[in-house]
Amino acid sequence: MINIRYGLYLSCALALLVVVNYLFIHQEILFLILFSVLSGLLITLASQIHKVSLTITDTAKGDTMSAVDDELIHSVIFELQQFIHQEVNIVEKELQRTKVLVADAVTGISDSFKHLQSLSEEQQQMIQLLISHSGNMEDGEGASLHSFVIDSNKTLDDFVGVIINTSKQSLETMSYTDDMVAQFDSIFKLLSQVEGLASQTNLLALNAAIEAARAGEAGRGFAVVANEVRSLSVGSTELNEDIRAEINQAKEIIAKLRNSVETMASADMTSTLEAKEKMTVMMSHVEQVNNQTTSSVEELAIIAPKITDAVSLGIRSLQFEDLTRQSLESLQMNVSSLHEISDVLATFDKNPNMAVHQQLIKLKTTCQSVYHETKKAESSRSVKQLNMDEGEVDLF
Amino acid sequence: MTVSSKLSTDGKQLVIAIDERFDFSSHQEFRDAYSGVTNLDLTYILDLRKTEYMDSSALGMILLLKDHVQLYAGQLIISKPSDTVRKILEIAQFQRLMTIE
Repeated sequence: MINIRYGLYLSCALALLVVVNYLFIHQEILFLILFSVLSGLLITLASQIHKVSLTITDTAKGDTMSAVDDELIHSVIFELQQFIHQEVNIVEKELQRTKVLVADAVTGISDSFKHLQSLSEEQQQMIQLLISHSGNMEDGEGASLHSFVIDSNKTLDDFVGVIINTSKQSLETMSYTDDMVAQFDSIFKLLSQVEGLASQTNLLALNAAIEAARAGEAGRGFAVVANEVRSLSVGSTELNEDIRAEINQAKEIIAKLRNSVETMASADMTSTLEAKEKMTVMMSHVEQVNNQTTSSVEELAIIAPKITDAVSLGIRSLQFEDLTRQSLESLQMNVSSLHEISDVLATFDKNPNMAVHQQLIKLKTTCQSVYHETKKAESSRSVKQLNMDEGEVDLF
Repeated sequence: MTVSSKLSTDGKQLVIAIDERFDFSSHQEFRDAYSGVTNLDLTYILDLRKTEYMDSSALGMILLLKDHVQLYAGQLIISKPSDTVRKILEIAQFQRLMTIE
């Protein structure tokens, strides 16, 4: 402003000098110089004035704006307070809900784990019962399938033994019978010798009868004897025939005996063979089933304590509920800090007497104190709150 | 002839060979094959390579042969039975009484 004033004074002086020159000196060169300096100065002044006028309008405008800003700040802060209040309320509600949900879920899970544990214990007891039971079965009086199959196998072996023994005895009987038949043959030989004797006797008696006839009356008595001897020889031959017939009948009976002994001795072994094969298959099958059962039972016995371990681990892991609750509580504290800020913001337009400036300063100090409190709380919490592994405390 | 027997030249082995069927019908021949042999310390070889069928009387005959062999302090070997015959012999537990090869 002062520069412009001095510039105006200077331009006036220069204009005066131009007039003086025009009236008295008439120097063209001086006129030219003075005129050019004057015009330059005027141009500079014009631009200066423009600038100054601009700043002046700006300042005027600024005065009206600052009046508007106070209202704006109020409304912005009001909106801000509304917004924070709403958000904080939602967060608080959600936190509360989460807390309840987690607590409920943890109670449920914990109960189900305990139930699982009791069930697994029950199962273990049943398995032990099963093990001891199957052991008893084996020790019992042939109650198990295994011992039954072994017994059956033994019975079959005994049966085979009986069959073979019968065959052997029958064959021995057969050989004795054959010997007997041979004896019969020698009896036949003896009989034919006897027959020879009889026919010779017959011949001899015939000769004696002829000789007696030739002797005439003297040989009459002798003829009677010869006749008697002859009839004796005939009787002897008949007896021989009878004996032969009897022995032949005996031979026929022996042939029948041979047949029945043959039937007795010849048992077909095919069915026995099949039965034995089935028995062998059955044995291996039963053995397999037994082994499988034993191994399954053993595996179950191993699995049961594992279930108990897993359940204990799960129950121990439920400590996270405790930690989560701590986190949620500290979050609630943070939310209450936000509430404090929000409360301060709420007092903002209730005090129209107090200047905006002062109110802002008050807000700032409140913010700072809340910030420090929160920071302190956070640092103490980070010390307190450790991770799950470190907090491995058996709760049960 | 369903049964044939042959004494080895050194007189230490008696080979009795049986045909396809070994049953009651051959018992006389079978008995005749060894009953006359009374050599001490003889090895009896029952050759069953041709035999396909065998019933319990055959097992009885083998047992009688075994008795005969024991009576004369000999040794009985059953030679090359077929699978079926071997199974029958095993059911009868003959492997405990004599050598089956």
